[in-house]
Amino acid sequence: MDIPVIRDVLEESNALAKENRARFDEHKLYVVNIMSSPGSGKTTLLSKTIPLLQQRGLRCAVIEGDITSTIDSERLQPLGIPVVQANTEPFGGDCHVGAHLVQAALKYLDLSALDILFIENIGNLVCPAEFYLGENRKVVVLSTTEGEDKPLKYPLMFRECSVCLISKMDLAPHLDIDVAQITSNIRKTNAQITVLPVSSKTGEGLDAWVEWLVKKS
Amino acid sequence: MHELYIAQSILKSVQKSLPEDVRAEDVTQVRVECGQLDAVVPDSLIFLFDAIKAESNMPQAELLVEQIAVACVCKDCSREFEMELPVFICPDCQSGNVELLRGRGIRLTGITVNEPEDENHGHTGHP
Repeated sequence: MDIPVIRDVLEESNALAKENRARFDEHKLYVVNIMSSPGSGKTTLLSKTIPLLQQRGLRCAVIEGDITSTIDSERLQPLGIPVVQANTEPFGGDCHVGAHLVQAALKYLDLSALDILFIENIGNLVCPAEFYLGENRKVVVLSTTEGEDKPLKYPLMFRECSVCLISKMDLAPHLDIDVAQITSNIRKTNAQITVLPVSSKTGEGLDAWVEWLVKKS
Repeated sequence: MHELYIAQSILKSVQKSLPEDVRAEDVTQVRVECGQLDAVVPDSLIFLFDAIKAESNMPQAELLVEQIAVACVCKDCSREFEMELPVFICPDCQSGNVELLRGRGIRLTGITVNEPEDENHGHTGHP
């Protein structure tokens, strides 16, 4: 006997994400899901971005996704903001932050005392792109050291994101890399995406990035 | 490796879709569609599904995965096109203002169960 059915396999995950979103909206909280390969500079970028947002009077927090370690959370401690470590290992070592994990992390945050919440996803250009967490915006960080071809290899990630930050711009002169080609490949996957070249080391482009965040929030 | 989470989600979706008078143990086949953009590796998904189904109440269920090609429509000139490469640009007018029609998302599309009169023939996995 055949049972015909059309059902979104991720409906449970999406339902949790919608619950998260309702809570964010209730507190007028702007939520950014930051994704990238491992080592592209997400944590360093946050450590430089958040003080600039604080200067503008915005209260920030971070949900720090990782499989097992607390290294990134510890790196953000000096900012003096709420940082919640969300490890996926108890949930089977998922390679992405799931909506259920965000929901669990929210218990440790006073959402009414925040303006912007960053979810730093697990370093991976494939899996995190698949899952809606309830965020307002998805952002991808692509470092100059990763090669021009990455947007074409991982198109879903670049299709899903509103912004692509090209990080480690300070290294570009030392690398055999064509930033114009990276930008062109990003646009091939998503013509509507905003591309912002940045360097956490020199501060290049951080103002434009902060401006984008402030305008959206 | 989001295939593990997806395999677990497929099992849950099947559970939720079964009519009350159908036993999960009688499920012989589960069919899903995966959009190409989701970058799900069918062999990995089937391997993981088989690994977790062994400990579930559907040990007989065979997973079939159909890949759905990516198709878009150009919002500027209305051309519909399927894509070989992940280049979201209209082949006619070169606009990047394109909308996805197909090729994203993972859907459960069918379940086959052994009917009571089939019981004596055992579970072949091929209804």
